[in-house]
Amino acid sequence: MTGAVPSYLSPTGQEIVFLLLGAVTVGSALLVVTTRQLVHAALWLVLCFGALAGCYLVLTAEFVAWVQVLIYVGAVVALLLFGIMLTRAPIGRSADLDSGNRVVAAIVALATAAVLVTVVIDGFRTAYADLTPGRGAASEVGSSLFRNWVLPFEALSVLLLAALIGAIVLSRTDIRGR
Amino acid sequence: MNGIQPPTIEYGQLSPLLLVFGAAIVGVLIEALAPRYLRKSLQMPVTLLGLVGAFALVLTVVMQGVPTKAAAEGAIAVDGPALFIWGVILVLAVISVLLINDDNEFVASAAAVPGTPEEEDAIAAGGAHTEIYPLALFAIGGMMLFASANDLLIMFVALEVMSLPLYLLCGLARRRRLLSQEASVKYFLLGAFSSAFFLYGMALVYGFAGTVSLAGISDALGAVGGQNTLLLIGAGMLGVGLLFKIGAAPFQAWKPDVYQGAPTPITALMASGTLVAAFGAVLRVFWVALGNLDWDWRPVMWGVAILTMVAGAVLAITQTDIKRMLAYSSIAHAGFLLTGVIATGAEAQNALSLKGILFYLVAYGITTVGAFAVVTMVRDAGGEAGHLSRWAGLGKRSPALAGVFAFFLLAFAGIPLTSGFFGKYAVFAAAVAGGAVPLVIVGVVSSAVAAFFYVRVIVLMFFSEPAPDGPTIAVPSVGTAGVVAIAAAATVVLGIYPEPVLRLAEDAASTLFIR
Repeated sequence: MTGAVPSYLSPTGQEIVFLLLGAVTVGSALLVVTTRQLVHAALWLVLCFGALAGCYLVLTAEFVAWVQVLIYVGAVVALLLFGIMLTRAPIGRSADLDSGNRVVAAIVALATAAVLVTVVIDGFRTAYADLTPGRGAASEVGSSLFRNWVLPFEALSVLLLAALIGAIVLSRTDIRGR
Repeated sequence: MNGIQPPTIEYGQLSPLLLVFGAAIVGVLIEALAPRYLRKSLQMPVTLLGLVGAFALVLTVVMQGVPTKAAAEGAIAVDGPALFIWGVILVLAVISVLLINDDNEFVASAAAVPGTPEEEDAIAAGGAHTEIYPLALFAIGGMMLFASANDLLIMFVALEVMSLPLYLLCGLARRRRLLSQEASVKYFLLGAFSSAFFLYGMALVYGFAGTVSLAGISDALGAVGGQNTLLLIGAGMLGVGLLFKIGAAPFQAWKPDVYQGAPTPITALMASGTLVAAFGAVLRVFWVALGNLDWDWRPVMWGVAILTMVAGAVLAITQTDIKRMLAYSSIAHAGFLLTGVIATGAEAQNALSLKGILFYLVAYGITTVGAFAVVTMVRDAGGEAGHLSRWAGLGKRSPALAGVFAFFLLAFAGIPLTSGFFGKYAVFAAAVAGGAVPLVIVGVVSSAVAAFFYVRVIVLMFFSEPAPDGPTIAVPSVGTAGVVAIAAAATVVLGIYPEPVLRLAEDAASTLFIR
């Protein structure tokens, strides 16, 4: 985790790209909550998640980056868009997207962000991660997953099965007598 | 790259766990393949055989000698306390499943909106959700995994495996369905929130230690310097997640609502099994991983324990619903158990505290299941007679039932000659030995306050005139009668002759947790 810390004054190309991607992430995240159009918010969310995937990629965590693209950009945002379509939410510009709680919400969000940023800066001020390419590659993650983490992995499949059965219990309407 | 080196899995040590999950999967297959009229008569034996078989396997593992090394690549610690807790969870699960077997408690069709013709149709057609059995087995397997997790990652997964089926089962009450569904949603939302806390704490602790293994975190406490903020906030968040599960104040708000709304057999399973499993996990995190940080967490735990005992005991007095009252009593008991968690010290002291906690968990768990079994039998036109005023004069209508219930309440209060007395004695004695005398004084005072409302219910049952339209006492099914009998017998035996179980707890505790 720790090693010789290079100076911050001569950033490498990697660091510059990381900072730019971070700026894109924060900017698009702000646009998600300030835009007045629901569909635009969902699309800004794509950009936000995509830029975050880019950050992961720069940090050599390529597997996590692809998971981010597949699950967040692919599945979560698609789900949101379907939700907007199916609930007949207003598609154009709508004025009533702001709730009366927005001041409180902003304060809570800022306070949470402040706590998290403080903790991370305090914790990792002197930490320097060595970014050797290939450590986050799918093959590395895979062999670690199926060796060190095989039991949690299998337990997760049990969890998914339980969730499926639960969904069936809650939603099936064709249950007839015994 | 020439292939992956296969992991070493100690199947023998993990066999109880695997059998429970295996039985759950067989249950799912029965749902898929068996005709509807056969399902219940197949599910019940499969579930019971799975649980009893797993208990036998626990005994086999104990016979072969308690392992001294974590199993499955360090993911699970099958040590003395874990085996003891597995045994306790399995016993509690078997008697809870006997209660679950009662058809009258569960909804005919969960998807039918309450109060609609569809619901009446489903009831008239005799619909039933036999998926309850595999779901309960998943939850029980999760509990076992939770109590034996040796790293934070598997602990989190186990937390979810345990909780998710319980969230669902809470919403399946046959009567007062809106209350039940509300309980389920509340439990789900708050539970998800607490899981998020746990996960975030885990991430911060990983940031500090560079590992999620409990032993690794313990080593890192001495080796890593200068990142205390990360560690303390991470440990605090882990604590929030775990204390939520045991229902310690100030995270106790969900317990009365959920216990009241959930079908009573599920409440019994939650109040006994989940509490046992969650204490297993609390002990592992705070003793194994954060044991050397005790100067930092002990003052906070003092506060939490005092608040939990006092809040549980005082708020229980104001309750008018029997299940809510039992829920607050469960909160108070969680506080009593926390005094044992705090009383750490040298190895002998830890073993003493652990022994007390383990014995308390057995005694309290069995009595709780028995008390909830009695609750299922006192019925009104609209289901169980929850309101305390309906219980007035029960002792004159049905002396035997009221007598057994009074006995359970006395055991909760910790009256001598009941299991509760030795449980409280063991934990408080360990706490005194550990130097937590003020805490024990608070504990004894809140026990006295708690005894007040237990005795109030007893007085209500025996010295009030029964209402003319009072509740009926359902003729118990064989299962329910068996549960009440087993629980009453266990409460008596543990209260008069506790030595065998105490010695078992001592043996289990003497090896402490393996690292």
